[in-house]
Order: sequence, then C-alpha cells, then structure tokens
Amino acid sequence: MAVNPVPDHVPPEMVRDFSLFTSPGMAPTPNGDPHAAVACVHSGPPIFYSPCNTRDGRGTWVVTRATDQRRVLQDAETFSSHRSIFSSALGESWPMIPLELDPPAHGVFRSLLNPLLSPKRVVVLEPKVRERAITLIDRIAASGTSCDVMKDFAFPFTVSIFLRLLGLPDHRLDTFVGWAKDLLHGDDVKRPAAAQTIVAFIDELATKRRKEPADDFMTFIVQAQVERRRLTEEEVRGIGVLVFVAGLDTVAAAIGFGLAYLARNLKDQDLLRREPDRIVLAAEELLRAYPTVQIIRVATKDIDFEGAPIRKGDYVSCATMIANRDPAEFECPNTVDLAREDNRHAAFGYGPHRCLGSHLARREIVIGLEEWLARIPAFRIKKATAPITSGGHVFGIENLILDWS
Amino acid sequence: MRIIVHKARCQGHARCSAQAPDVFRLDDEGYILPGDIEVGEGEQLLASRGARSCPERALELDRTPAARG
Ligand code: SF4
Repeated sequence: MAVNPVPDHVPPEMVRDFSLFTSPGMAPTPNGDPHAAVACVHSGPPIFYSPCNTRDGRGTWVVTRATDQRRVLQDAETFSSHRSIFSSALGESWPMIPLELDPPAHGVFRSLLNPLLSPKRVVVLEPKVRERAITLIDRIAASGTSCDVMKDFAFPFTVSIFLRLLGLPDHRLDTFVGWAKDLLHGDDVKRPAAAQTIVAFIDELATKRRKEPADDFMTFIVQAQVERRRLTEEEVRGIGVLVFVAGLDTVAAAIGFGLAYLARNLKDQDLLRREPDRIVLAAEELLRAYPTVQIIRVATKDIDFEGAPIRKGDYVSCATMIANRDPAEFECPNTVDLAREDNRHAAFGYGPHRCLGSHLARREIVIGLEEWLARIPAFRIKKATAPITSGGHVFGIENLILDWS
Repeated sequence: MRIIVHKARCQGHARCSAQAPDVFRLDDEGYILPGDIEVGEGEQLLASRGARSCPERALELDRTPAARG
C-alpha cells in the first residue's frame, strides 16, 4: 500500500503509528478481536494523525472521543461527506445519495427516502423479515448440528431482505454477495471490477423499472420527484448504488459478531434464550461493542480542533468502533453488558447522515437473534475452527462455524 | 417532569420512541415532533430512559421545580 507523506501542517508530535488497516489485529486474523485492538487509542490524545488510514493509503486525523465525533458529524458544513468514495474507484465523481451530499441538497433526498425506511415502515416489513429468518434457521436445524453462520444464515438472511426491498429475485443472491465482497474486501483489481458491475446492474434495473413499473424501491426512485422534477440518471444511480453497498454487508457482520460473542459467552447466551425480552436491549449493546463502520469526512475549511490544525481538504476519521469504546461515554467500555442502559452508541453514526437503514438493520439483528436463540440449542464455536475477523473501512467476520452437538 | 426537545438536533434515530412510544411521537420520516413534552406521573421512568438514549443529545430532562409542578 502506497503511503502518502505526512503533510507539512501536521505537527510531528501529533502523528501516531495507528491505522484501521495496518495496525496489529486489522489484517484478517483467526480468532481476532479488531474492536478490542482499536480501543487502545483511548490511552492517547483526543485527536491524532494517522499517516495511512484509508484503503488507498491516505492519512486521516483520528477523532477518538465520542463527544468530539458528535461535533464533527453534526457539523456537515465544516466536515463534508462528499468524497465520491465509490465512483472514484471508477475514476468518476458522482456522489452516493444521500450519504455523499451535503446540506441543503442532502435534506431534499433524505426526506424523499426516509419514509421508505422509517420506523413505521419497518413495522410493515417485519413479518416478512421474521418469516425469512425462520425458514433459514429451520433448514439449518433440520440438517445437522453445525453450520457456518455467515454463509448459511447471516448473509442469505440480510441480503434476501434487501433484495426483496429492491424488488429482485432471491436466486441471484450469491451473485450479489460476491459483488459486495469484492467491492468491500477485494483487492485493487477486484474492487473497480465489482464497482463497474454494480453500476451497470443498477443502471439496467432503473431502465427496466422506467419501462415496467413494479411495487419496489427502484420503481419509487425512478418515479420520484424532488423540487418538482424527476431525478436525473446520475441521481438514481447514486441512490441505487448506496442502497446496494450499504445493505449487503454491515448487518450480516453485526449478526456475525453478535453470535460469535454469544458462542463464547454461554451464560449470556443462556440468559437471552430464557428471557428473550432482553434481546432488544442486548442487541444495542452488541451494536455498541461490535460496530462495523469507519466514517470519514473532508474538512471544507481550516479549523483548529482540540489542538489539531485541521486544514481544508484533510480527512477526518470518526470510527464508530473507537467512539463506542470511549471510557468517558461508557462505563467499562470493553466489557459487554447486555443489560446496559443509556446506551447512546454511535454504531449508526451521528448527525444528518445517521444511517438511513438503521431501523431496518436493528429489526433484522433483533429478529435474527430471537429466532436463532429460539431454535438452536446452546451453541459454541466448533472445535478446531476459528472465525476470521478483519479491520479496515468496514470491520468484518468471514466465517463463524457454530456447533450445538 | 418536562422534556425539552431540541428539534434541530434530532436525526431520527428513534431510540427515544423505542423506549417510550407514548411519550415520544415521531413524524412520518421518523423524526421527533416539535414542542417540549410534559411527562405524566406514570411515565417518568420510561420517559427519562428514552431521553437518555438519544445519541444526538436532542432530548433534555428538565427537573426544575417549575417543571415538576
Ligand atoms: S432519539 Fe433523539 S434523534 Fe432519535 S428520534 Fe428521538 S429525539 Fe430524535
């Protein structure tokens, strides 16, 4: 990975040897715990400079305190989210919408999309989500006493819900999961290729729905109006790609990390199985302890932030896994306490870009845990296997072989 | 007890209404409705839990005597 030189305006004493990509525990590691590995930053300063903290080796400021991350993420004027993170992989610059739009344009699109994924809407979607979870888990339970939860449950569950939302058939599930894996975890050859494939797919789907409307997300988008006009092709693509990218990986990872925790902590597992009413609260704690996303903003102007001379164009990283382990915010942050109250964690971010899909994601995680615990007896990580975890832009868990024999 | 709603800060996490749906009412997009909230006797515990779960700090508990009265 090419490392860019540290810019002149960064005081050398503010540079630290830390990165979500290259620090110990960030590369794919059997039985790893990347979340615990990043918590070490809390013994250091509230902000520092990491010379290599993006996939392409760019430096970022790293904001460690939850309260400071709130300041950054709530101030979209100073800290812009327009980075064209996806399209730049293709040498283009269109934004993913609404994530990479800044106010006021952001608000227009956010209002358009919010009702599609609002708490009320999620109540409507819930029965289908539960049905899907039950089908998958019943199949697993019927076929043995062991499975790879990621491959057999977490991915098929979350991805098929998302496919149904988009109005796509289930049989293409493996294809989509493959694209998403290449995009989020692939190398320099696989990533742009996957990006290209996804864009072509979204464009084609939009064209199809313009001609033959259906009762689905993409039809809504191509027919929608903002400021009394139809959306442009680029806007439709920006929304479609974001939903695709956001929907595929993160919820599955959250379920995986959660079940991995329960597999290693049988007392907690047993408690949730006996008292399923606790799962809603417990899911928040698992989200706090094992969030998956690093959020990056770009400074739109020079600003001195907690002693750091941030200059226009600098990247500022607000890693949810760092905020969620802040001892100033959470008592014993490195302990998982499934009954934790006042859990104002940052798993879905803060500020106007707060995860649009968070209500659905939460429901999926809760339902996934409820149905899993109701149907699978005491489970552990299968002997002689090790879940492989990784850090990076999106934290992940590749495999999770559970055993309940 | 009264809850001061800083509407501009609300980003629609809906954590408040998940705790106390009768106290914290949301609009169709999932954001809190404007206006401070008077909390009835029986709802104080849930209401304060709801307020304390807002990640954006948009809900402030007002425990001054006037608010209690
Ligand atoms: S928890 Fe806070 S941000 Fe969320 S809906 Fe309630 S007031 Fe708004």
